[in-house]
Order: sequence, then C-alpha cells, then structure tokens
Amino acid sequence: MKRPPPYLLVILAVLVLAVAVGASLMAAQGKPAQPVFGQRADHLAALPGPTARAQPASWFAAPGNGEWTAQLGDPSATRFSPLGEINAANVGSLRTEFTFDTHNKRGHEAGPLVVGGTMYVTTPYPNDVYALDLTKPGHPIKWHYAPKPAQASQGVACCDVVNRGAAYAGGRLFFNTLDGQTIALDAASGSEVWRTKLADINKGETITMAPLVAEGRVLVGLSGGEMGVRGSLTALDAGSGAIAWKAYSTGPDADVLIGPEFKPFYPAEQGKDLGVHTWNPDGWRIGGGNPWGWISYDPELHLIYYGTGNPGPWSSLQRPGDNKWTAGIFARVVRTGQARWFYQSSPHDLFDYDDVNESVLLDIPWRGQMRKVIARPSRTGFFMIIDRETGQVLSAAPFAHVNTALRIDMRTGRPVVNPAKEPQSGRITRNICPAAPGGKDWNPSAFSPRTGLVYIPHNNLCMDEGEVQANYIAGTPYLGADARMYAGPGGNRGVLTAWDPVANRAVWRIREDLPVWSGALATAGDVVFYGTLDGVFKAVDARSGRLLWQRKLSSGIISMPMTYQGPDGRQYVAVFAGVGGWSGAIVSGGLDPADPTSALGFVNAVRDLIPRTDAGGRLYVFALP
Amino acid sequence: MSLRFPEVIAAMLMLAATGCHRESRDYRSLALQAQDRTKAFGGNAFHLAQGQRLYAWMNCAGCHSHGGGGMGPPLRDDEWRYGGSLPEIVTTILDGRPNGMPSFRGKITEDQAWQLATYVRSLSARTREDILSGRADEPSNVEPPVLDERKPVRRVTPRQDDASEE
Amino acid sequence: MKRAALILPLLAPGCAGIQSANGRDAVQGALIGRLFDVFLGVAVVVYALVIVYLALALLRGRRHRRRESGLQGEPAPSLERPWRIGLILFASATALILFGLAIATWLTDRALAKAGAEAPLEVEVIGNQWWWEVRYQDPVASRIVRTANELHLPVGQTTRLTLKSNDVIHSMWIPNLSGKQDMIPGRESDLALHPTRTGTFRAQCAEFCGMQHANMALDVTVESPADFRRWYEAQLVPQPAPGGAAAAGYAIFQNRQCASCHAVGGTPASGQVAPDLTHVASRNTIAAGALPMSRENLARWVSDPQAVKPGNNMPKVPLSQSELGALVAYLETLK
Repeated sequence: MKRPPPYLLVILAVLVLAVAVGASLMAAQGKPAQPVFGQRADHLAALPGPTARAQPASWFAAPGNGEWTAQLGDPSATRFSPLGEINAANVGSLRTEFTFDTHNKRGHEAGPLVVGGTMYVTTPYPNDVYALDLTKPGHPIKWHYAPKPAQASQGVACCDVVNRGAAYAGGRLFFNTLDGQTIALDAASGSEVWRTKLADINKGETITMAPLVAEGRVLVGLSGGEMGVRGSLTALDAGSGAIAWKAYSTGPDADVLIGPEFKPFYPAEQGKDLGVHTWNPDGWRIGGGNPWGWISYDPELHLIYYGTGNPGPWSSLQRPGDNKWTAGIFARVVRTGQARWFYQSSPHDLFDYDDVNESVLLDIPWRGQMRKVIARPSRTGFFMIIDRETGQVLSAAPFAHVNTALRIDMRTGRPVVNPAKEPQSGRITRNICPAAPGGKDWNPSAFSPRTGLVYIPHNNLCMDEGEVQANYIAGTPYLGADARMYAGPGGNRGVLTAWDPVANRAVWRIREDLPVWSGALATAGDVVFYGTLDGVFKAVDARSGRLLWQRKLSSGIISMPMTYQGPDGRQYVAVFAGVGGWSGAIVSGGLDPADPTSALGFVNAVRDLIPRTDAGGRLYVFALP
Repeated sequence: MSLRFPEVIAAMLMLAATGCHRESRDYRSLALQAQDRTKAFGGNAFHLAQGQRLYAWMNCAGCHSHGGGGMGPPLRDDEWRYGGSLPEIVTTILDGRPNGMPSFRGKITEDQAWQLATYVRSLSARTREDILSGRADEPSNVEPPVLDERKPVRRVTPRQDDASEE
Repeated sequence: MKRAALILPLLAPGCAGIQSANGRDAVQGALIGRLFDVFLGVAVVVYALVIVYLALALLRGRRHRRRESGLQGEPAPSLERPWRIGLILFASATALILFGLAIATWLTDRALAKAGAEAPLEVEVIGNQWWWEVRYQDPVASRIVRTANELHLPVGQTTRLTLKSNDVIHSMWIPNLSGKQDMIPGRESDLALHPTRTGTFRAQCAEFCGMQHANMALDVTVESPADFRRWYEAQLVPQPAPGGAAAAGYAIFQNRQCASCHAVGGTPASGQVAPDLTHVASRNTIAAGALPMSRENLARWVSDPQAVKPGNNMPKVPLSQSELGALVAYLETLK
C-alpha cells in the first residue's frame, strides 16, 4: 500500500486528539453537584413600605387571650397570632415541651385548637377527638371521643383518610368524620350534642374539611371530586344540627341557590341554569365541584367565600362546556346561602385545579384608595387579588411556574389556555406546569400585618398526563387520566414564598427539596413557622426569610402549626408530625414506587420519601426554656 | 433423494398437525364449569387480556393505579391482606373487604371477576410468562407492570389454611 | 361468454341497495363515482383497442410467416414505417390519456375538498370493539346528543365526521355516501358527507379490528332537515324512571350489571364504556347492526350476547326468564 500523504496524517492525528480530549472532558464532568435546598432564602424584591402594604380587613381581630379557635386562626384566614414572646432573636433556643402520640399511622393534616386552658386534637380516620388539660402537669387527657365512622369510608377517600380539624364556637367543638357526619361536642365534657349525616359513602361522598362557624351556622362541604360526587355546601344550625340550607355546585339555579341576588362580575357567569347548560347532558349530576377546602367570612358584608373543587371526571374530553360551577369561588350570604357572585378560575378545567384554597381577606391600597379584596394563592399557580364585594379580578400574577395558561385575560377574567397543553384522547401531554396539586394545594398560607406579606407554602411540580375514557360506577373513582409528576424547573419540588399582594410579586423565597405540604404560621414576633415533608419543622425570619431554627421530628409534617399562650403565660408553638395526605401517601399507604402513576401520579415525584421519614402521628409542643 | 407429490403432501400434513395447538378463546366462560377454575382462568391469555380491559373499565385503576396503589393498597407486591390465591382475590372483588374495598357483586358477572383476578395476579408476577399481556392499555407508555422476580406470598393477617401458591 | 356472465350475479349485491359501493347518494360519493366512470370508460376503450391490436398482430404475424416460407424476399419496406408511426402514436396517446386521468383525479380531489370545506353539522364518531359511539356536537354543551350505532344526517347539508378510536384501528365506510376513512387511536381524522337523497343506508367497519369486525355496522338514515331536527330534539329528551309495568325492568337495569357499563339519560346509570341506551328502542338494529330491532331479538341479545357475537365485550348476565322479560319490557320503553 502506498504511504499516505503527510497532511492526511496530520488531520488524522488532530481528529484523534480532539476525540480523546472531548471524551475525557465528558467523563470528568460526571453528574452536577446536588444543590442543597431549604437553608437559604433568595431575595427577589424589596419589602413593601408602610403605605404600600396590604392590611388586614378593617374589622380584623387577631385571636385574643392567647387562644386559637379555628384552623385558619380567624375568619379572614390570616393564620396570624398576636403573641410576640417568641421572636427572631430567641427562637433559636426553642425546645420541645411535650409530645402527644395519637397511635395513628395515617396523614395528620389538622392542627390543635386551644381554648381556655384545654387543647383539642382531632385525628385522621377513625377521627378520634382528644381534649388535653393544659392546666395540669403532664397534660392529661380530659376526655376522649370516638365517633366510630364506617370502616368502608376508607375506600372512598381520594387522598389518604385525613381530617383537617375542628372549629370551636360558643362552648362547642364542631368537626366532621370521614363517613360524612358533622358532630357537635360539648367542649367541656366531650359529650355529643348533635350529629348530622350529610354524605353517602356508597356514592363516593366523604368529608375531610374543617367546618367554619359563622352567624350561628356550621358550614360543611363534601369531598369526592375524584369519585363522581356532585359537590355541595351545607349550612347546619349550630344549636340543633338541622340543615338550614344546602347549595350544590352544579345543576339548576334552584339547587345552586342562585337567585335575584346573584350578580357575577363577568359575562361568562351570567345566564340561566348555567350549571346545566355548560355540561353534556346529565354530566352535572356526577360533575364534582366539591367545596372541600377553606371558607372565609366577612362579618361586615355577611358573606362567606369558598372555592369549589375540580369537575369530574379528570378526563375533560368527556365533559365539554365550561362546567359551571366547578373550580371557582362563590360568595354567598351566610344566613340564607344565596349566591352573591361567582368567579371561575378554571373554566372547563383540564388539570384538576380545584379552587378550594384559602381566601385571605385583606384591604389593600389599589390605585389610590383602599379596596376590600380576597388574596388567594390559587391552584392554577396564579396569585389572585379579587374584589370581595363584586368578584372582579384586580390582579393575577404567577407565584409558581405556570405554562398551562399564558395569562389571565383581565377583560373576561378567564385564563388564556396554552393550546399546547390541551389534552388529546389516547395521547400524553407532557410538561404540564403546575401539576395537578397546583401551584399550591390546600395547605394554608399565613399573612402578617406587620410585614404586609403572605407566606405561601407551596409546590414546584410539573406532570405528564394522558386522558382515557372514564367509566362511572357509583362508589368507585371517576377519573380517566394517568398522571406522573416530577420536579419543576430548578429541581426543587417545594417552595416557601413571601408574597407582596399589593405589588403582586414575590419578595423572598426559600426553595425546598420536597413539596411543602404544611400550613404556614405568622406571629407578632416576626417569625414564620412551617414544616417539610420529611419532618423538619422550621422557623424563619418574616422579613428576610433567614433560617432561624429547625428541628427534625419523628414524621413528615403536613399539618398546620399554631401557637397559643399556656395557663402559665408562656407562648407555645404546636405542630403535628404525621406524614400522609396526597403527597405522603407513598409512606402512609405503603405504595409501590415502581408504578409512577400511583397516588394519581404523586408517587413519581417523591420516591425518595420512603427512606427519609416514617408514618405515625405525634403532636410536638415547643416553647422557650 | 427426490420427493414425489404424495410424499410432499404427507409431510405437509404431519407438520400441520403438530403446530396448531392454539389456545382456546373461552368466550362462553366455560372455565366457570371447570374442576380447577384457578387453572382454567389463571392459565388462559384471553381471560387475562379481558381482565386487563376490565381493570380499566371497572375503575380498579382509580384506586390501585397500575398496581402501585393510591386509595387502595398496591397490587404489584407480594403482600396480600386478604390472601393472594385466585379464589381469594375473586372473593375480595365480589364481596368487598372491611377497610374500604367495595363489593362488585351485581356490578360485574362472576366470570368477569375471575378474569380480573387473573389480571391482578399477573401484576405481581404470579402468572406464567407466556400468557402475560403484551401491551399496557394506558397512555403512560410503561411496560406491563410485574415484579422482577416472584416472591412468596406474605399474608398480612395470618390464617390457618394457608392456600398454597402455584 | 357464458363464463363471463357467471360473474354478473356476484357484482349485484355490491352495486345496489343500502350498502352499495357504487352508491352515489352523496356529493362525495357522486364525485368519486364520476371519476370511476371516467376511468372505466377510458379503460374499456383502451382495453378494446389493445385487444384489437393484439388480434391484428396475431393474424398479421401468421400471414407474414406463410409468405416468408414461400418466397425468399425481404419484407416490403412499406411495412416498417407504419409500425414506427404506430408505436409513436400509441406511446403519445398513452401519455396523454394518463395525464388526462391525472387531471381528472386532481379535479375530483379539489371538488371533494371544496365540498367538505364548510360543515354546519359536526359529529364525532368513536370506534370501539365492536360498536360505534356517536356524539353530535353543539356549542351549547347540554344539547350534545350521545348515541350509538346509528347516524342521522340531514339531506342537502354537509356534515363533518370527526373520527377517533378508543382501542384499535377501525375504519368508517358508508359505501353509498363516500369512501373509507381510518379511525386511528391517538389521532383524529375527518370525513365530510353531503347526502343528496334520503333513505337508509348501512355503514361498515372497513379495517380489521378483531373477532367481530364483520359484525360492526352502523345504520345511517338520511332524512329531510325537518325530520332530522325532530329526531335530534327527541334524542335530547331524558328517560326518567318509569312507573307501572316497566318499573321492575328499570330496577333490574339500575341494580344489576347493566348500569356498570351502559347509560340511560335521566337515570343514575351513567356507564360510559358501552353504547348509550337512552333511546335504544328507536333504533333500527341492535348490537351494531347484528340483529334487527324487535322484542325477540332484544331478548335474544340480552340473554346471551356471546351466542350472537362471540367474543364481544358484553358478558352473559345470568337472568331468569321473568327477569329477562321485565328487562326487555323496560328497554322497549326507551324510545
């Protein structure tokens, strides 16, 4: 063979050298270092000044006497405590005062209530209630009430057999059981005053929410949007338990209690019997819209505000139309139940964006004057500022990564759906952000009047979803979708965001590794408390987000921290550890991570939770030494 | 050697006779009358495939996902609260169980329950590989879910007559 | 000639009646039919010419060989030129004819596209093994009609069918009205129809889809717009729980296996995976065209679906004679 010319040899040598260098560079790169989440806050904007700050509602009164009588703190849902003994300077020395085991291995979402030296605790199924006497050493159990709900109700609860707590009013404790009963107990003795059955588990109906008591009414909403349940909100008489009114979330106007008082702001909400005509025939009878979340109350306007859940089935191609009145917010007159306005945040919802999150009632400076608004970190990923007298959307800005809606059209109030994310039958739509649990799920945020910020504990999850045909069989799930969730951009699955509702932007943000499923608590000591899914309970500075104190608890935290003043005058902070719920079902339900679609897709996002925490409910109470 | 026409025909007939044991598609569910229903249903690919379709239609996937669990416990593993043999799974499906498994008696027929049970058992690798379903009827494009290797059944609530596994 | 005549009876069923491949009862079918006629005409003429040419070639060749064996001479020079001219003529004629046919095809295709451009009526047809789900679209969601195994079309108006499949590939073929269009899972295809005469026709699944592919037919009724409206409004009427004689059958329907898969509007039964039965008694056939509608056939189908369509997805529900009678009596009230 003839010897190749010299220039060819040079080219060959250069090529070989380039390949060798490139390969060794790639090998040396390896995997990027895993970032550490949860220890620092990212600063994004300046804190609002005193004149540009959101205020609590003009009639707002923080819980008095160091008590805590409702899960959201007060009817305007601020989760703010006026106690200031624990502050940013001394919270670092917080230590465990006592613990209380519930011997229950399911998800503990409820927080305790403290009234008059007694602490009241509710558990997940079987929904036991304990009263602990805080005045005696050792905090003995004063009384224990076991409602014994039907065993079969465990089979129709979509997202673990949770209970979101009790409400205290007028010497009575009100709570709901999984099999759909609302029970009133005498707070002093624990004896049952009345019990009313509101749900039929054979139709898939359950109740998990914490009731709201307002103007002598106990307000209770059903759960079951994944079971083809037609949602409804019932008002019971607080004295007798009799049904005062019942408002459905779908169907004819008469059932939805829409009458002459109904004045929605946007044209899409105006019309007769829209709860029938925006559904395929009979679709509304199994249409969802369950109000299983939070209710706020304005005593000046005599209105309650609550959101309705997702339409059923998840498979949106089977239910054409706007699907009213699901995935939206109702304002109703609390005594009669008549609707005043409605705003649908997700018309023809495609991604399980229940609108049941808390409605924080604030007064904000808006274009020169104070305006009464609802501030809501919504499931859709948008932080909504809505006028609470008329239902007009004043402002909407994404607080989480959102690609399902391009923006909210301010003229019509409707989200402009991203056509690339619309589902097609038999095909998977990828990278849907936020995922089905939304920018934020039920776990409530907190508002501090001292900083004017809303502290939002939320998710950073995206998902792939495919729709198939759903079949309806009463008492079984009515879904028709396979989903698989994973971390959103940035790799962190959760966030605690401090949000300025007036400028409608984030001020600082702590990125957390796992989805943040606990509620937030803001105190007058300028400390914000929240917990992580693998059980780390944290205290951060309300102004800067700096981590001040943390403690790893025996189980993941999905409940709502609260604070109270004990009989000895000291301030205590209490939180339940007890992983479960939708996010922690992989641990509390023993699910199999090999199937990414388990738990409606959540298992895929938190496969690493299994080695990081165990199930088991335990209340922790902390105080300064 | 040269073949003549009759020999060729004879050879072809012999080959044809050996090759065609095609599995019966038991449309009339004659397996219900069989002595050993476990073998008749559990060893039949048609019943397993029908069970796979029923698993989606009867909303089993809504509670148990594709074997990983959700509202209901996982079906892919080796842990069976109420027994993992085919007749026990059929009883679970038809009669329901105390902690939330609804009863499907009257919602499906008995042979459909056996078909479902056959498919459910295949989720935890308790079925012969040659009758396993070849496709996952779901848009998530995952492999048909099975355990990697068979493990002995763990009964969570112990019982006296522990049914032996095949 | 006799052998050729034997073929004619075979052609007859395909060329007449309610399922005629030669049917021209819609604009689409007529356009394709016209193109077919053009092709047939051209092909017949060309075929005849070729046969004549072949015959001539055979005869001439024989004469040529006889002459050769007799005389010893070259063929007359005048024979060469005609062959050459003939060849050139033949080749150019073929090219022109093919080009002409291509133009005709293209024009037909354009006309088909134009005919289906605007469709006042939109219908979604979803293929399942082995039945058809039909959903009429309407901007007001509560006016959507969901039915099964039947299609009603107004004459003189264009209807667009959006075709989908829930499991395997099917194909919609209404021979009298139009050509075939596949229904592929995960995709949407469409088919436009503009019927020009009223009548009942039979559509057939045209892509092998399993054991009962042959028994997957669809009744197509083309009627005047007024009749169509009347039918449509009747379909929107729900069927609340009956009293009297049909109540026993209603109870069986709701409490037994029927409600797990079937839906009847106005009742709690909302199963989605089997044909909608709200107005089943008003249909001409049952089981996707397998049996004509009658009380006996309803009883026959409900008592043992596996005997009628072995392998289909409706199970044999054990029913006593009296239960069967009550159930069929109830189904007959669903007009």
